[in-house]
Amino acid sequence: MSDGVDLSVEFCGLRFKNPFMLSSSPVANSAEMVGRAFDAGWGGVAYKSVVTDNIPIIHPSPRMKEYDYGEKKLVGLQNVEQTSDRGLEANMKDIRYLKKHWPDHIILVSIMGFSNQEWADLAIACTDAGADMLELNFSCPHMTVEGSGAKVGQVQELVQKFTETVNDVTEIPLVAKMTPNITDINIPALYAKKGGADAISAINTVMALPGVNIDTWVPDPDVFGKGSLSGYSGPAVKPIGLRFIAEMALNKDLGLPISGMGGIETWIDVLEYLLVGATTVQVTTGIIHYGYRIVEDMEEGLSDYMVSKDISRVSDLIGKALPNLHETDKFDLSRQGIAEYDLEKCIGCGQCYIVCTDAGGQALEWDEVKRRPKPIEDKCLSCMVCKFVCPVDGLISFKEMPSSWKRRETVTLGDDI
Amino acid sequence: MVYSDHFKGMEKGFDVHQAVAEANRCLLCHDPPCSRGCPGGTDPGTFIRKLRLRNITGAIRTIKQNNILGGSCSVLCPTARLCEGECCATDIDRPIQIGRIQRFLVEQSWIQDVKFFEKGEARAGKVAVVGSGPAGLSCAAEVAKGGYQVTVFESRSEVGGVLRYGVPSHRLSTTILENDLRSLRELGVEFRCDSPVQGDGAAEDLLNQGFDAVFLAPGLWKPIRLKEEDIEGVFTATDFLSSMREKKLDGLAPFFSGKDVAVIGGGSVAIDCVESALELGARDVYLVYRRSFTQMPAEEDETLSALRAGIHFLLLNQPVDYVTENDTLKGIRLARTQLGEKDASGRRRPVEIPGSEWVLAIDAVIEAIGSRAANDSPQWYPSVKVNSKNLVEVDRETGATSTKGIFAGGDIINGPALVIDAIRDGKVAATAIKGYLETLEVSK
Repeated sequence: MSDGVDLSVEFCGLRFKNPFMLSSSPVANSAEMVGRAFDAGWGGVAYKSVVTDNIPIIHPSPRMKEYDYGEKKLVGLQNVEQTSDRGLEANMKDIRYLKKHWPDHIILVSIMGFSNQEWADLAIACTDAGADMLELNFSCPHMTVEGSGAKVGQVQELVQKFTETVNDVTEIPLVAKMTPNITDINIPALYAKKGGADAISAINTVMALPGVNIDTWVPDPDVFGKGSLSGYSGPAVKPIGLRFIAEMALNKDLGLPISGMGGIETWIDVLEYLLVGATTVQVTTGIIHYGYRIVEDMEEGLSDYMVSKDISRVSDLIGKALPNLHETDKFDLSRQGIAEYDLEKCIGCGQCYIVCTDAGGQALEWDEVKRRPKPIEDKCLSCMVCKFVCPVDGLISFKEMPSSWKRRETVTLGDDI
Repeated sequence: MVYSDHFKGMEKGFDVHQAVAEANRCLLCHDPPCSRGCPGGTDPGTFIRKLRLRNITGAIRTIKQNNILGGSCSVLCPTARLCEGECCATDIDRPIQIGRIQRFLVEQSWIQDVKFFEKGEARAGKVAVVGSGPAGLSCAAEVAKGGYQVTVFESRSEVGGVLRYGVPSHRLSTTILENDLRSLRELGVEFRCDSPVQGDGAAEDLLNQGFDAVFLAPGLWKPIRLKEEDIEGVFTATDFLSSMREKKLDGLAPFFSGKDVAVIGGGSVAIDCVESALELGARDVYLVYRRSFTQMPAEEDETLSALRAGIHFLLLNQPVDYVTENDTLKGIRLARTQLGEKDASGRRRPVEIPGSEWVLAIDAVIEAIGSRAANDSPQWYPSVKVNSKNLVEVDRETGATSTKGIFAGGDIINGPALVIDAIRDGKVAATAIKGYLETLEVSK
């Protein structure tokens, strides 16, 4: 509680002091790390996927590759990280330790079995160790162990079967983690529900190939001369994550609470996930980029936003954007607008002129002497690409035109042929 | 850190990340004002766009093809009032650092070792270039690209003119200069050093010796003096900077190391001299200028950096005379001035304050008050029309002089001007010369 704002949420009957969680990944690899994250302000953790000791886990080296845009670092992150490579006993000790020292924080332990029996064994071990909830990892896209991870998530019957197996051996809530590498995420989510899942978490990383070394022709990440399609995360995938969360939140048959993730760094990202239906949010790449400290800004930013909107509980934000999400055929096409220019602010770079000419409606002329664009209103397509490239804030804005306004038709060449 | 450490070498340039980050700030203007701001047509708008789109080799090619001295210009140009002065990003926050991007790309070309020039298909026609400064080199390169045979005559022992002998190495390293020159050698330009074209009719003689055209670019090397007589401890900027560049320090050290020095003048050359005096280990260095700080012709970044380096600016002080003992310098007599009415240059004129004279005790003086054409220079090309200042008169669109086959450019036609202005002159004349070689006519 700060500023009269309550950031706590209830998720599967458990109270989270705030909706901010570490997601199952290297940032939640040990009690030593998670403890520091809790102290920094994170409300819960999806503890990095634990496995039995039956198959040794060895991480490829190197295990990640950055994706930069210009000088902007880590717009995306590719990884071939595996599940925890620590022994089951070590992980269970760490979970006991965390629960003992941070009893008011929620420990969701991610598990991944490589057989039906393993799913049961892991569920029992984690429950005994004091886990508050279990996250069933049906979604890692690059497991080196055959037939595991996302390969399970893409076979609905297995999702249901393994969920049932776990449900049979433990009473604690189950969260099924979904892969986005599928056309309709609701199909496996519904199978998970049928198997007894209490909630859904998504998205795991997006299967991707972010780059190729142009000297060696090895796709990223270069693991001693071999590349591989593998998981992609970070700000670049946020739009994809929001899509899948909204699709599940809108599905009345599913009706399960959702823990959302994919590219979250700021309180605004968090808020967007809440507004499309997530109850809690999970973060990895943001922490890989900036450290645990970003939670301070999530907490402060979200609190200030709630004060400014006179909203006292996070739960009052969940799903609030969903009534405004429609199929495109519901748009009111009778209402049209244009890009309006406040040329007082113009610095004369002419990028608007270039993009309008080459990608828009040829709705700008260029005054070569004054170095200023001259808008031709009735040619503007309102694509707004000029606004996207304009370096001056607030120079170009969308303006609705009266219903009597008509857009000129595109010039046709070759009438005489 | 002692003063002198500031000037041991050039400031470090951008690395690839810094260069790309800076290019990413660029607004990629339509009809880029920066490109219009370059007198030499280096076209930063295009090479920055190429860098932004990771077409680094293409970006280098643009610079090399447009400006054979792209490396030298990247560090010598007063970019703040040329390309960067026109930059649209200034209205957002600050201009793109175009000079530093250009330097990065040129330095990158050394690493990439891409050959950007090959000798053009040989054509009949021989051109003599008099002087290997920026105008001469620029003309030589452009003519050679056309496949003509070019010979550059240089009076000194090494190529480069003002680039080698007129600026300190902390402003333009020999590495950058030599790499710029390498491009000319790739083009097959022949250099003849220690070969002055001076003496009666020497330029016209070249036309009789088998050259089809001559480009005059000897520059201005005659120092303007405060006092003509020789006094031990008084140096001209020209001699001083040449000696520094040639590492002839034995004659300089006794006057500078641990000594107090005054430099007379307010231009870029004066700044080069005060900095070089510090480099030599001078104790106190005074810059004596008769006008005010804002009237100094030197670039603002230069004056501010000299101030920060600890130079004492004696502004509004007019040098009157030297104080000597046995022909050895002991001090300089100065008179305080105040600003009066505007003069022909539009600047307020410094007026001596009567009775304000005082003596500054010093061990050496460098006169950096400008340079002009040699008194006898018109006799080197007697058929060529010159003005009252012995500057050669040309048609500005072609560089053609009054004599058929003789062209000219650089300071000898402009008076003291920028390196990039000289480069433009060389390019303009080269175009006209190539046309002349084909048709024996000068066409615009």
